Amino acid sequence: MATIDLDNMLAKIKASQWALADIDWEAPGAEMISEAQWPKLKAFMSDLMWIEHVGARGFAAMAKKAPTDTLREIYTYFHAEEQRHANAEMALMRRWGMLEGEELPEPNINLRLTIEWLDRYSDDMPLEVLGSVIPMLEIALDGALLKFLLDEVNDPLCHQVFEKINADEARHLGVDFHVMEMLGRGRLHQLAVKTIGTVVSPKLIMGVLAYAPLLNRMRDNIVEMGLKEERLYEAMDKYQRIGGRTKEGRRNPWFQIISQHGRMVVDRSHIYHKPVDALVKLSNYIPRRALGPVPSWVKELTWRPTA
Amino acid sequence: MTIPTMKSGARKATPRQAPATNKPHDVLIVGAGFAGLGAALRLQQEGVGDLVILERADDVGGTWRDNSYPGAACDIPSNLYSFSFAPNPDWSRSFAGSREILDYVHHLADHYNLRQLVRFGRDVSHLRYDDKTGLWTAVTQTGETFQARSVVMAQGPLSNASFPDIPGLDEFKGHKIHSARWDHDYDFNRKRVAVIGTGASGVQIVPELVKKVDKLTVFQRTPGWVMPRPDFATPQWNKLLFRRVPKAQESVRRALYLAHESMALGIIWNSPLTGLLERVSEAHLNHQVKDAWMRRQLKPDFRIGCKRVLMSSDYYPALQRDNCRLITWPIARLCENGIRTAEGIEHQFDCIVFATGFDVSNNGTPFKVTGSKGRDLDTDWKRGAQAYKSINVAGYPNLFITFGPNSGPGHNSALVYMESQIEYLVKAVKMMTSEGIKSLDVRKDVQRRHNHDIQKRLAKTNWNSGCKSWYLTEDGFNATMFPGFASQYARQMEGFDPGDYRVVRVAGRPQ
Repeated sequence: MATIDLDNMLAKIKASQWALADIDWEAPGAEMISEAQWPKLKAFMSDLMWIEHVGARGFAAMAKKAPTDTLREIYTYFHAEEQRHANAEMALMRRWGMLEGEELPEPNINLRLTIEWLDRYSDDMPLEVLGSVIPMLEIALDGALLKFLLDEVNDPLCHQVFEKINADEARHLGVDFHVMEMLGRGRLHQLAVKTIGTVVSPKLIMGVLAYAPLLNRMRDNIVEMGLKEERLYEAMDKYQRIGGRTKEGRRNPWFQIISQHGRMVVDRSHIYHKPVDALVKLSNYIPRRALGPVPSWVKELTWRPTA
Repeated sequence: MTIPTMKSGARKATPRQAPATNKPHDVLIVGAGFAGLGAALRLQQEGVGDLVILERADDVGGTWRDNSYPGAACDIPSNLYSFSFAPNPDWSRSFAGSREILDYVHHLADHYNLRQLVRFGRDVSHLRYDDKTGLWTAVTQTGETFQARSVVMAQGPLSNASFPDIPGLDEFKGHKIHSARWDHDYDFNRKRVAVIGTGASGVQIVPELVKKVDKLTVFQRTPGWVMPRPDFATPQWNKLLFRRVPKAQESVRRALYLAHESMALGIIWNSPLTGLLERVSEAHLNHQVKDAWMRRQLKPDFRIGCKRVLMSSDYYPALQRDNCRLITWPIARLCENGIRTAEGIEHQFDCIVFATGFDVSNNGTPFKVTGSKGRDLDTDWKRGAQAYKSINVAGYPNLFITFGPNSGPGHNSALVYMESQIEYLVKAVKMMTSEGIKSLDVRKDVQRRHNHDIQKRLAKTNWNSGCKSWYLTEDGFNATMFPGFASQYARQMEGFDPGDYRVVRVAGRPQ
């Protein structure tokens, strides 16, 4: 099993901290964003920045569930690092003239629903669920989107920023997959019983209703931005490859469920897409008011390097 | 302030100047805080007159002299946080502030003429035992030496404070203040101030500082359980009553003692009361903090009692003031202008206050202690400090430690424990002087058995339930707390059995 030493990883994380103030946000290169790119990039960055925040909230919940002090501290850092990525991405948006004043990018409705669900229920979810879903979100959405960004945007500062973000994400994925394997240990029937107990929970069903349309919405957005959806599928495939490389990983029922779901997502002819695409359309009609105010942790986002 | 009574039957203290000669003293005490002065007072009352107290500072008071930060107060009611043999009927509040507690210590020193026993500005760097003479020699930082038959190490477990080990600590160009070394000359007006640490000192500093500064940012690593603190001014009639009817104050003290004792059931051990105390603390949080995310940030994830329970009714409201902000992101480093946290933002400040507590020596000694046959206490304690009944250590004859290993209270007044320790050492020293004992060294097997029992009992307590705290060493060894009620501790310290010790009498004295 590809185990990692979590104590060493924590030391590495602490030694690899960076800040927005390390970056010269006024450096030349902002003008390299073309007028044609600008509106698409703005929508893209908004989604990306909110996906970072979904990851952040997920890690915050995982920190509460972590079985050891070291893992708890690692997740606390990951929570902060995802916030740092969102902050840095907002700073890039600001650099490219996409944010006015204290304006916060608007999340799409499916992201908003996912945030709402995470805020209400993620602290009640077992580590097994979050520890298996968050890697999928990170690898699929984050991974695919970042690749696209680096292919399309020539601003050298953007590359500099994402080099830092990618280095953080590599550590996140290392720990993610290590934990997924860890969660696959134990007696199979116990894992199965625990999984069934969680699957039938109404909170999780609501989570699925937020998560499934989010993936399809992101796929549609990616296509709209001119990125091949195969890029997303390749990233999802990576989740199955890495997560399933060991016996322990494959024994994790949540890995199996999420992988199976991934296979349905990448098969455009699968019947799965009918109801889920309908949900995406339906979600367009949800009035923002119905969701109430955004949680107060959202207000901690900032593009300003200093406070 | 009036401290009217002396312990009944006790001899009136005889003021005696400690001899300036090199003649060995009966007892040498390190530290002129509560424990050092209390020990000196009781030794004097029991007729042991030849004492000297070595104090590194220029005043008495110990932790209450050093902790003068705004809001500093005791989280145990004053009527219980005072010596039973020197009651004070004039406490102005139910929970006195540090200034008033220091006044009490001063009054103790003055009323019982203890100051003249103190050699101020003497910072002990080495204590050395001589097997041949059975005497201890204390060497100070300046090389001065003092000799005595017995030594009381009363420097206290919470006496050394230093800045925490945070990367970039020296890079910060603004002002740095440690809560235990407050800078009273610094003007906080219109300043941007950070407070690092939300333990016992932090929750007291924040409500005071937020009133003075332009912007206060509180950096929290782990939230603690906070209980409301019923702090109120003592009415005049109450003071009068206590002055005229000392029994009334004794009864109040007794009631407070029993109330705190009952808390042990929830704080020390995991019982239905533990859950109840957690619910009370949660209700306090939910009542005072309306924002769901902030409540989540402030809710502890460990069992109540595992760390020190905090007492404050104004900490949560202070955090929610417009000029205050709570940050729970991990601190990445300090930099020239402030603090960089892991979410990538540099928080800039004029001043950083470190409310990060004390350097507790769980497995070490504050200065070099060389015992019988050249053994070194720091080395002996490397794998976790151990003592007999918290006060004596095998191989270190005639040495008494106040708040030694496994004497810490988690639920009751430290002074209650301290009194038991003082009474124990007084009995031992009296026996030594009256029977001409050269050395009194606790037997190794007795000490081993005692610690085996203590550790077995500790395993069942909340302190050892998995959280990280200053009670435990890095390896999780608990050398700090006593696993039981204060009454059990008092019972442990009540009996002084010479059979537990190897006793060597002065040559020529009858056995």
